[in-house]
Amino acid sequence: MSTQPAFGLFKRRHAGFKKPAMADAMLILGLCMAAILVVLTLVFGLNPPQSANTGSLMTRFKPPALDGYLLGTDQLGRSLAGRVAAGMPWALGVAMVATSISLIVGTAIGLVAASLDGWPRRIIRMVIDTVIAFPSLVIAVTVIALLGRGFWPLALTLGLATWPISARVVFAEAMSIVQRDYVLAADLAGVAWPKIMVFHVLPALRPTLLTMFAFTFADMLIAESALSFLGLGVPLSAPSWGNILSESRESLVVAPWMMLAPAAAIIFSVVALNLIGDGISAISRRNSGRAS
Amino acid sequence: MTGLLEIEELSVGLASNQGAPLLVLDRINLTIRKGEILCLVGESGSGKSMTALSVMGLLPPGVEVISGSIRLNGQELLGLSDTQWRTIRGGAIGMVFQDPMTGLNPVRTIGAQLSETIRRHQGSSKEQALAIAEAVLASLGVPAARERLSVFPHQLSGGLRQRVMIALAIVNRPGLIIADEPTTALDTTIQAQILDLLRDRLAEAGGLMITHDLAVAAEIADRISVIYHGRIIEEGPTQSVLADPRHPYTAGLIEAVPDFGHKGRPLVPIPGQPPPPAALRQFCSFRDRCRFASPACAEMPALSAAGKSRKVACHHALHRGTAG
Amino acid sequence: MTADSAILRALGRRGLELLVLLVSISTLLFFLLRLSGDPAAVLAGEEADAETVALISQRYGFDDPLLIQYLRYLAAMVSLDFGNSLTAQTDALALVMERLGSTLLLALLALVITAAISIPLGAWLGFRPAARSRKWTNALVFILQGIPGYIVGLLLIQLFVVELRWLTSIGNQGPSSWLLPSLTLASFLVPKMVRIVAANTAETMAEDYIRTARATGASDAALLMRHALPNALLGATALIGTQFAFLMSGSLITEVIFAWPGFGALLISSVERLDFPVVQAAVFVIAVLVSVVNAVTDIAFSVIDPRLRTARQSV
Repeated sequence: MSTQPAFGLFKRRHAGFKKPAMADAMLILGLCMAAILVVLTLVFGLNPPQSANTGSLMTRFKPPALDGYLLGTDQLGRSLAGRVAAGMPWALGVAMVATSISLIVGTAIGLVAASLDGWPRRIIRMVIDTVIAFPSLVIAVTVIALLGRGFWPLALTLGLATWPISARVVFAEAMSIVQRDYVLAADLAGVAWPKIMVFHVLPALRPTLLTMFAFTFADMLIAESALSFLGLGVPLSAPSWGNILSESRESLVVAPWMMLAPAAAIIFSVVALNLIGDGISAISRRNSGRAS
Repeated sequence: MTGLLEIEELSVGLASNQGAPLLVLDRINLTIRKGEILCLVGESGSGKSMTALSVMGLLPPGVEVISGSIRLNGQELLGLSDTQWRTIRGGAIGMVFQDPMTGLNPVRTIGAQLSETIRRHQGSSKEQALAIAEAVLASLGVPAARERLSVFPHQLSGGLRQRVMIALAIVNRPGLIIADEPTTALDTTIQAQILDLLRDRLAEAGGLMITHDLAVAAEIADRISVIYHGRIIEEGPTQSVLADPRHPYTAGLIEAVPDFGHKGRPLVPIPGQPPPPAALRQFCSFRDRCRFASPACAEMPALSAAGKSRKVACHHALHRGTAG
Repeated sequence: MTADSAILRALGRRGLELLVLLVSISTLLFFLLRLSGDPAAVLAGEEADAETVALISQRYGFDDPLLIQYLRYLAAMVSLDFGNSLTAQTDALALVMERLGSTLLLALLALVITAAISIPLGAWLGFRPAARSRKWTNALVFILQGIPGYIVGLLLIQLFVVELRWLTSIGNQGPSSWLLPSLTLASFLVPKMVRIVAANTAETMAEDYIRTARATGASDAALLMRHALPNALLGATALIGTQFAFLMSGSLITEVIFAWPGFGALLISSVERLDFPVVQAAVFVIAVLVSVVNAVTDIAFSVIDPRLRTARQSV
C-alpha cells in the first residue's frame, strides 16, 4: 500500500522496525521450547522411565553428574531426572485439561454476556467480578480437600476456579469487536446472534484466545505444582514437580541439588509459555496496526 | 538582514531498512522575518508538521535531520544539547499543537501546567507565576481566569482548552510562535475566534502557521509557502499567490475549495494521491497528477524566482490567464 | 454526581458482591461437605466408631432435612457462629482472627517491597522502551518472571539459610525473620506489576500532552515525575484489588514454606485435617477482607482521579 501519509507510514515503520525480529524470535524460541516439552512428554508418557521409582538406599543423595545420575538422586535413591521426566505427563496433562476447561467455559460465558443486555449481563458481570476478586488458590485448596486428590478433581477444580479470568477478557474484546462494521452489517442482514458470535466474533478473537491459552497454561502449571507441593495434588507416591520440590525441602541441608531438577523443569516450561504468549500478542498487535 | 527564523536546505529523513533514508523533507528553505506570519500549506503527509517539529527539535524517534541548517536569530539550532533546548523550547520558541483534547495533562490543573513553564523560564515564585498565568488567560479572552486556574482540563470546552494551549506557547513571550493546525480540531464557530487571537499574537513576534486549509492561510498569513512531497514548490505574498498561482498544484488547491456561493458547480478535486516518502527523487513529484505534465518533468524542477518576491518550482509555471 | 454519592455507590456495590460471595461460597462448602460422604463421619475423623458418628450426626443435626440444615447453617454464619475447631477445641473464628495479624503484616511488607521495586524499575523501562539498555533489562526481567513465587522462596532459603546461614526460615522471630517471607510473597506480584507499570508508562509517554510539556522545555526528569508517572500509576492502582487476591493465594504457600504463623498456614493445615469449622471461618474472613480492600480501592480511586472527582462541567 503506497498511498499512506508519511507521518503514519514512518510511525508504523518505526514501531515495526526493530520489533518484528524481536516478536518473531520470541515466538519461535518459545515454540521450540514447547515442542521439546511436548515430545518429551509423549516419550515419557508412553514409556515411563524406570529410574523414577526404583532406587535403593545405596544410591541415595548422590549429587548431580556423579555416577551417571544426571541431576542427582533423592532420599530414596531414585534418579531425579527420571522423576522429573515421569512427572511431566502429569503436570502438562493437568495443565492442559484445566486450561481447556477454563478457556472454553470462560469464552462461552464471555460471549453470552456480550450478546445479552441489561440485567442478565449485569448479573454475569457481577459474578465474574466477585469470583475474580477471591483468591483462586483458596477455592482450589478447599474444594480439593473435600473432593479428594487425583487427575480429574485437580484439573476440574483449577479450570472451574479460573474461568472468570478468561470470561472477563473475552467479554471486553467481544464488546469492541461487536462494534466493527462487518458485525453490524451481519446484524442488519438478519443473521441470528449466536451465529454472529460463532462465525464472526469468535474468529476475530483468535489471537486473544491463543495468548490467553499460553498464559493460562503457565498459570495452571504453577498452580498444579503449588498444590502438589502442599500435598493436595497428585497422589502422594506419584512423582510430580510440585511434590518433588516438597520432598526436597526436608533434605535441603544434605542434598541442596534436589530442588534443581523440578525447579528447572517448571521454569523452563513457564518461560516457554510466556515467550509464546508474548510473541503472539506482539505479532497480533503489529498486524492489527497494519490493517485498515 | 538576518531573519528571525532561517531554514536553509533542510533535509529530514526517516530511517528505513533499505539503506538510504526516506526523505520526509527535501532541501527546504524558509525565512520568516520579525513581525511576519508565514503559512506553510500542504496536504497530509507533505512534511509540513515535520518542518515545525524540526524547528523545535521534537522529531519523533526514527526521524532525523540529514543535512541543512535552522537558525533562530542567527543561532544554529541543529545539534544543540538537551540542556540548551530546554531554554529555547517554551522560552525563545513557543508551539501550539493541533488537538487540545489530548494535549493537556488530565491530572494536573491548568494553573499547575502554566506555572510550570512560567517558573522554568521566568524564574518566578509560585504566586507570581499564577498571577502571570491569570493575566495571559485573561488576555486570551478566558472569562473568570483566576478560578479557571484551579480546574482540570476535562472541565473545559474545546475552545477554552485551545486557549490554554496557546497560553502555554506565548506566556514567556517567545520571539517565534509556531502553530500546527491549531484550529483543525475545533468547531467552525470557535475557529474564527481562535484565529483572531492567534493573528495578534503571531504578528507581535513572528509566526509560522502550519495548515492544509487555504482559507486559514488567506485570513492570517503575510506570506505563503506551499509544500508538496517534502519540497517547497511555491512561495510568495498571500494575496499574490492566491490570486495568481504559478504552480499547477497550488492552482488545483484553490480550485478544489468548494464555492458556496454558486450552487451546482461541481467539486474539482486534484486527481490521484500524494506519493509516499522516497529515497531518490529524480522526477517532479507532482508529475503523475499534473495535467500539464510533459517529458521535461522527468527532471525535478528547482525553486526559482517568478516575479516579485515569488518563487515556484515547475517547468510549466502558470501565468495569469492560463490557470483554470 | 458528587463525591459522596460515588462513595455510597461503591460501598453498595461491594456490599452486594460480598453478600453474593458469602452465600455462594458457603453454599459451595455446604454441599461439598455432604458430597464427600457422610459429614458426620468426616467431622468425627477416621478413627471414630459408629456410635460416635451417630452422636455427632445427631448433635449437628445431620439427620434433619437438607433445607433445614441449610437455613440453620446460614443463620449461624450471619451470627458469626462457626463453632469450635475440631482439633483445637477453641472457637474457630477466634482462632482465625488470632492469626490474621501475622498474615496482614506479611502482606503489607510484601506490598511495600513490590512498590519499591516495580515502580522505579517499571518507570525506567517504560520511559524509553526502545533504548538498548532497556532491551537487556527487559530480557532479564522476562526470565525472572518465569520463576514462580514459591520457588523464589525455596531458592532464597537455599541461599540465605542453608548456604550462608545469615537468616532463619522458621516462623516469626522478629524483624530479621520478616525479610525472606515478605520478599517471597512480593515475588508473586513483582513480575506482573513491573510489566504493568512499564506498559502504562510507555503508553503515557506516547500521549500528546507529554509532547506539549516537552515543547515548553520540560526536562526528562520533570516529564517522568510530574507528567508520566502520575498517569501511569493511576492505572496501576486500579489493579490493587485483583493483586490482593493473588497476594492471599501466595501467602498460603509462603506461610507453609516459612512456617509463618498466619492464617494461610492455618487454612492449609485445617484443610488437611478436615477441620471444617475453621475452614469455613477462614474462608469467611478472606471474603470479607477481599471485599473491604476492593471497596477501599474503589473509593480511593474516585478520590484520586480528578476526572472522577469533579462533576463534568463544560464551560
